[in-house]
Amino acid sequence: MTKILAVDDSASMRQMVVFTLQSAGYDVVEASDGQKALDIAKGTSFDLVLSDVNMPVMDGIELVKELRQIEAYKYTPILMLTTETAGDKKMAGKNAGATGWVVKPFNPDKLLATIKKVTG
Amino acid sequence: MTGVAQNNRILPPPMAGFESVKRYWDNAMAISTAKLMPGEVYVSGEDEMIMTVLGSCVSACIRNPRTNIGGMNHFMLPQMGASASMLTLDGTAARYGNWAMEVLINEILNYGGSKRDLEVKLFGGGKVLDNMTMDIGKRNIDFVFSFLDKEGINVVAHDVGDRFPRKLLYFPNTGKVRVRKLQSTNQATIVRREAAYLNDIKTSPRDGDIDLF
Repeated sequence: MTKILAVDDSASMRQMVVFTLQSAGYDVVEASDGQKALDIAKGTSFDLVLSDVNMPVMDGIELVKELRQIEAYKYTPILMLTTETAGDKKMAGKNAGATGWVVKPFNPDKLLATIKKVTG
Repeated sequence: MTGVAQNNRILPPPMAGFESVKRYWDNAMAISTAKLMPGEVYVSGEDEMIMTVLGSCVSACIRNPRTNIGGMNHFMLPQMGASASMLTLDGTAARYGNWAMEVLINEILNYGGSKRDLEVKLFGGGKVLDNMTMDIGKRNIDFVFSFLDKEGINVVAHDVGDRFPRKLLYFPNTGKVRVRKLQSTNQATIVRREAAYLNDIKTSPRDGDIDLF
């Protein structure tokens, strides 16, 4: 079963994301900031990381940089799920090694199609 | 970026990302004013006023007293049929509410501070139509309180529910609010505007773009 790490500091947003992913049959683990996500990712392997950008402690861009340093996550798809539309943030995400940039509010079907595409 | 001249008054430049919100010089109050329509968000650190009119929609007025940056959103959850449950609320309907709250909070926190610093005031959610099959206003109120509760953010003031539309004035750099309950003569326009917004998000969902690098 495809395993996804969903990272967002907003509990309400996490609930919605997890619901969307679980409805589609994915195995989901949640984290509320980049540091917690990094710690979880080191202990378990995931097929995809779906992360918010603006978070306390460690933001999403920093998380991508950290994950790409780890051998097991060098090629793992990492999608950013964010309200940020600014080009410079998106560029920072791309340069850090993110696989894609999904802007909220997200359409559940389109998000699932994108996940299928990058994990396929 | 320079300010925008209007009626010989210079409006302060809007923050990046909020250029599309309509602004004008309010002569009576002698202040630059942003007029928020359903679905919009506006954040400012200037001496400005944010004005909106709420029927069953809800507005959160949020400010960080440490940075004097504050703002307002104006939203409504999409209407759903009789089969609507908490499940569909989690899956799709909540996404505009989640988005409106997150954009507002993130923009304010981009200038410093953390969620626990925020001062939140909530308005709107009136049951402005007698023949509503469900109380849309209440659903919006329940959503916003539940959102803030999950985030651990306190609400310092609120004026929600009841049967009236409200005219809301918010001063983001001081946190002051003025609310006026409107009489029924104004209701038709408000109800029409909110219905148009609901129809708009139903027929052309405002989903964000997806880019694969």
